[in-house]
Amino acid sequence: MGNKIGKRRQAVEEKYTRPQGLYLHRDIDHRKLRKLILDCKLAPCYPGNDECIPNKEECPICFLYYPSLNRSRCCLKGICTECFLQMKPPHSTRPTQCPYCKTPNYAVEYRGERTREERGLEQIEEQKVIEAQIRVRHQEIQDEQERMKKRQEIRSSEVEHNDNINTSPSVSSQAYLEQEFGFVSSQSLSTIPVDTRSLIRRSREDHFDMDLEDLMIMEAIWLSIQEQDTHGNRSSPRLQDCRSAAKDSPPQGLACTVAALAERQLASHSNALATERPTVDRHPSEYKAWLNACEGSSTSVPPTDDGECSIDNCSEVAEAGTSYAGSDIAFDMARAVSLRDGVNMASGHLLPESFEEQMMLAMSVSLAEARARSSPQGVTWM
Amino acid sequence: MTSSSAPPRKTLSKIACNRLQKELVEWQVNPPLGFKHKVTDNLQRWVIEVIGAEGTLYADETYQLQVDFPEHYPMEAPQVIFIPPAPLHPHIYSNGHICLDILYDSWSPAMTVSSVCISILSMLSSSTVKQRPEDNDRYVKNCKNGRSPKETRWWFHDDKI
Repeated sequence: MGNKIGKRRQAVEEKYTRPQGLYLHRDIDHRKLRKLILDCKLAPCYPGNDECIPNKEECPICFLYYPSLNRSRCCLKGICTECFLQMKPPHSTRPTQCPYCKTPNYAVEYRGERTREERGLEQIEEQKVIEAQIRVRHQEIQDEQERMKKRQEIRSSEVEHNDNINTSPSVSSQAYLEQEFGFVSSQSLSTIPVDTRSLIRRSREDHFDMDLEDLMIMEAIWLSIQEQDTHGNRSSPRLQDCRSAAKDSPPQGLACTVAALAERQLASHSNALATERPTVDRHPSEYKAWLNACEGSSTSVPPTDDGECSIDNCSEVAEAGTSYAGSDIAFDMARAVSLRDGVNMASGHLLPESFEEQMMLAMSVSLAEARARSSPQGVTWM
Repeated sequence: MTSSSAPPRKTLSKIACNRLQKELVEWQVNPPLGFKHKVTDNLQRWVIEVIGAEGTLYADETYQLQVDFPEHYPMEAPQVIFIPPAPLHPHIYSNGHICLDILYDSWSPAMTVSSVCISILSMLSSSTVKQRPEDNDRYVKNCKNGRSPKETRWWFHDDKI
């Protein structure tokens, strides 16, 4: 095989040449394993970490964090050495399949810790998944609109029949929203139901509970956050912290701030209609929906400053992304993407007051982003 | 009692426990669309409510999935069944057993409860007819002693649904 350029060969401590006891491994050839690790053919058996620490990678099988992982040759997905040993029973005659893409004759290679480029490629792959999800979501929104239209036609024919539980006057949600957000395309906003009960229900059930615009805004904001985080401070996804921060304002991160703002806005709009709305009840779940969106759109910036991602590599990664079975995408999205806390800007730094301002902010961010993408050279922010 | 056969005897391994806890947190933050996890203190058995997707034969119908995790999860597949009444579907038996390859031969430790749920919902959604498998009665009779679907030698013949 010859020497690989760029392989970072470094002495591995003796204790990391043995399994750390993650599994009860049977039939392991310890000498062979040790040799493979010392030869940098397999990642050292570092003890997995429960918490996400900057620059560590999560093994998608045991969900623990490691300084470096092995990569499958077929689809470049990571796996820690101990999980890999479980995948490949040494005396089995059947060829093992890749646990990610099902390619037969599963094999891994070790390339040391990820370089910036590799991380960038991964982000491109994740970006593709996100874009696909946005497309799906867009379709859902269109379907929803058609259903809404139908429902409204029915409702308008029976205006008299008012629901007791619903304290709001029966106003067509379409009309209400057009009045409130006249400047935004009413088309997308009409997916927000005004009926409080359905709002609550939706926010619990719906994956996103927001329309495409909101999603784009969150993505744009996330991009800017991520850009500030370029220096790779990747740390644990403190979602709970974030959530509680949103409840006891002022929230810490920008995303939290914006999410909380939007939430408050939504709440006040609904308040105008429904007087006895359980605002507090709705907060955590709705915030969760925002968080989903933050999460979903969090990995988007290909590091344009390196500018070295060869087209071959890109398409390879893309293929891996698409060949990943549909059912796994959710898993992938959920696990691969994590909230970073490089988000900590002063909360007073950016506080768009109105929906208009939020839109402006989002647009400017996405414009800047678009510019950054089209220019091959380094990105300058602010 | 074919449906709720006894949970796997052995308790979860440390790694299984750790992973399931993380999956649960992930689920709570980001639940798959159309599913609700019923809160219990039993990490080894999850009961999940499935709501049929809009525009499918099962729209607005609610079913319950029971997911039991083996000691060596995720290296070993979880046992996933519908708690009767199970949806009428060409691959779902009246005792709740589901003929779906990823639950048996094609399980991969890279899958999660969430991804399995989505696969099951997708299987429901793509159904064009509400009926039991042809061999339903024979199969269910064979399972009378509470046999786990994981002991069945499944023959996956239909890749359309």
